[in-house]
Amino acid sequence: MNKLAPLEHIELKLKANWVRRKVLQMAVKAKSGHVTTAFSLTELLLTLYEGGVLKYRLDNSKWSGRDRFILSEGQAAIGIYPILADVGFFPMQYLDNFLGENSTLGVHSEPHTPGIEVLTGSLGHGLGIASGMAYVAKLDNISKEERLIMCLTGDGELCEGSNWEAFITIQSRNLDNIVLVVNRNHHFTIGRTDSIITQRDVCLDPLTSKLESFGFEVRLVPGHSFPKLFSVFADIRTRNIEKPLAIIADTVKGNGSSYIADKRFWHYRVPQGHELQHVETDLENEKLQLEKEYLILGGKHE
Amino acid sequence: MNKGNILGMRDSFFVELLRIFKNDKNTFLISADNGAPTMDLISDLEGQFLNVGIAEQQMVAMACGLALEGKSVWFYAIDPFVTIRCLEFVKLDMCAMNLPITALGVGSGYSYDNMGPTHHAVGNIATMRPWPNLTIYSPSDNIIASALAYISYEDRRPHYIKFDRTTPVNLYENKPVNINHGLIHTKSGNQVCIISTGRMVHNAVKVAEKLDKEGVSTGVVDLFRLKPINSALLLEILTNYQKIVTYEEDYLIGGMGSAVAEILVDNGIFKHFLRIGQKDAFVYDLGGREIIWKRLGLDAESVKEKILHWLT
Repeated sequence: MNKLAPLEHIELKLKANWVRRKVLQMAVKAKSGHVTTAFSLTELLLTLYEGGVLKYRLDNSKWSGRDRFILSEGQAAIGIYPILADVGFFPMQYLDNFLGENSTLGVHSEPHTPGIEVLTGSLGHGLGIASGMAYVAKLDNISKEERLIMCLTGDGELCEGSNWEAFITIQSRNLDNIVLVVNRNHHFTIGRTDSIITQRDVCLDPLTSKLESFGFEVRLVPGHSFPKLFSVFADIRTRNIEKPLAIIADTVKGNGSSYIADKRFWHYRVPQGHELQHVETDLENEKLQLEKEYLILGGKHE
Repeated sequence: MNKGNILGMRDSFFVELLRIFKNDKNTFLISADNGAPTMDLISDLEGQFLNVGIAEQQMVAMACGLALEGKSVWFYAIDPFVTIRCLEFVKLDMCAMNLPITALGVGSGYSYDNMGPTHHAVGNIATMRPWPNLTIYSPSDNIIASALAYISYEDRRPHYIKFDRTTPVNLYENKPVNINHGLIHTKSGNQVCIISTGRMVHNAVKVAEKLDKEGVSTGVVDLFRLKPINSALLLEILTNYQKIVTYEEDYLIGGMGSAVAEILVDNGIFKHFLRIGQKDAFVYDLGGREIIWKRLGLDAESVKEKILHWLT
């Protein structure tokens, strides 16, 4: 993984802006999709797929040498589709048919889609599946340098007891080839995950010490900072600590537009009418600003 | 002595599974902290067994991960815990992705008689029957159970096998049995046909013999594959009979009797048809399985009387 040059950094930010605008466009057209979840994951997923973290092959999405990436919070699928198309798993036009007839791009991720490993959408399945994949790699003496098993969960998803069943297997068998990435966006569907303000809320904290007590090396990272994300993933194949790794990415649900960011009740709502104008304007303004910075840094017009 | 009295059907299965495991290292067994003397030899095979602890969801999810990496996987626990306890994992991680995983549940029906509603394996057929890609077996003796080890290995799709804890005798010792048919015409007759599954096939044979003595010629069909049911063969056998009875140690809602009724209705077969099974209640009765059967009217004598009453 390369160190991030200033111009490259702006390019990635522009790419993140494009992903969010694409997600919004897809959701608005289909009148469905978890926009705010997707917005919380944009920088993280771009880092994994376009920042050189994950190993994959576009000509064979089931290539045995690939890293296994399980999107356990399956409702985030709309957020990964533009990135899978951008890197070349499938044509960009597929995005225009999100949820449409004969499309494979559903609300939740499904294994028929190139680049998607497993069926997810009901929460709390991914990590157990990952533990099976990681165990096979151990049996076959495949090092984590050769093959990582990465599972991305939501923070609210960690309420599912099956994750804690999986933690016990992962700790018992010391599956240090597993990287658990938690999208800590602080919101469930109706409640917060970090504080008890109303009757809708559940508090997961202290999450770090919980994961540490289950045998993980735990790292915290600001989930919208490309340099920080690049840095936290830099040594995941070569790190010396013989423990499974958990990376808690602190993110904002709906990041990219202040109109929907970190607010209740936007889990499964697609902006419309004046709401949509607000979000579009926020994203457009960010785009114009980033383009200016890009030119100042010597970037070239497309 | 009949070997069925020494080994249970689960054990006969594991004896054969061990042979398969020794020949193919790409096989794997997961237990949710359940064991069996015949399973111990598999448990010792390096890299082919894991106990995940009392964690059934993890057992199925991990099986999914192993299967996605190319393993043939079996998982094992008491029947309610490989089915209802982790049903959504069976549905999604095993059936929806159509993976070579077999759920092994021991203790069909009231096998775990004195253990109460937590361990009674009723409602499981209704619970498991809807899921596409899943084949369901309910063997009645050790001969079938042994053969199912190979079937579940060779047919690389999801399976669920429910074993009784006991096998009174082997019904098919030295008899030609075609497992691929999915059912056996265990006893012939020409008036009433009793269709049953698992341990209750033994009771059905008893009932049929009693009815024969009463002058009612009664046959028995052992429906050991509950999904998909070989409806063509079943209907062909039923042409020999005037009346049809289903007899199961399970609820009437959604169980084997319901499955047979669906086939009859869908094929326009409107013969006299009686479903015998358990009433809509939880069982807290102690004293053993025979007591439970008597109280539910599922013992051979009660069933014979019920059928005779129905015939008149």
